[in-house]
Amino acid sequence: MLHVTAAFCFVGGSVAAAILNTLAIRAERPSESARLLRLIRVALPVIFVGVAGTLVFGIWLWHHLGFGIGAGWIWASLALWVVANALGGIGGRHQERARELAERLAAEGDATTAELQALLRDRTGLAISWAAGAATLAILVLMIWKP
Amino acid sequence: MLAYSRSFWPLFLHVLGAMTLWGALLAAAVAGLAGAARAAFSSLLVALPAWAVTLACAFWIASDEGLSDSNATWIGIGHLVLEPGLLVLLAAVGCAYWWRRSAKAVAGRIVAALALLYLLLLTVALMAMSGKWG
Repeated sequence: MLHVTAAFCFVGGSVAAAILNTLAIRAERPSESARLLRLIRVALPVIFVGVAGTLVFGIWLWHHLGFGIGAGWIWASLALWVVANALGGIGGRHQERARELAERLAAEGDATTAELQALLRDRTGLAISWAAGAATLAILVLMIWKP
Repeated sequence: MLAYSRSFWPLFLHVLGAMTLWGALLAAAVAGLAGAARAAFSSLLVALPAWAVTLACAFWIASDEGLSDSNATWIGIGHLVLEPGLLVLLAAVGCAYWWRRSAKAVAGRIVAALALLYLLLLTVALMAMSGKWG
């Protein structure tokens, strides 16, 4: 129960962050983008609880349910957990840079610039965030499939 | 043994739909509390299809696993939260639309309260279902 609740915090928090990030990209004014990117910070504690909880309760369940040390799907899930967190951290730093620029522009007349638009729509940054989401989804597949 | 014998897709989509619903409500609650009307409304629009996928796959699982007539407490709690929850969700969408149009602060507070209420109820339901209460 606690492992599943933590998984909801991990995935649900990531969904909330993805929605707010998407809306920040589409916002017309820098002040709006900055506000939405700031709101992602509120979802971060939920994600952190989920990240820690899935690992701790997952390892406890591994022992409690008697899965062997050679259970490949559990090792694959652990590897994907590391990948998802690493990519999520990189994507988060990219969003922070966009937020800082948006806040500066909001204070200087609230007119958008090509630099902000390029930062918000940066393909590498978005690809890293989407890859983190794909890794998280792959963990969910493995947890339900248990190949 | 049930965990290993059940078919993959209905359970995967049920859980994914519920997680998306939970996340969209979290985004709506956060946006509601921060006074971001457009963000709250858009987040709630994401919650609606997620709610439909969660419910449809719940019936799919119940049909596949012969649980349609089950009196298990955890299934009852799931249905008790998910199905009437649509009314809470629709009320939140309506209030978010009103908030966008009128910019009245009271509408924002109602949106945040409804989103938080449903988020709390869903958390109880997911704990009941994953812990197989009763």
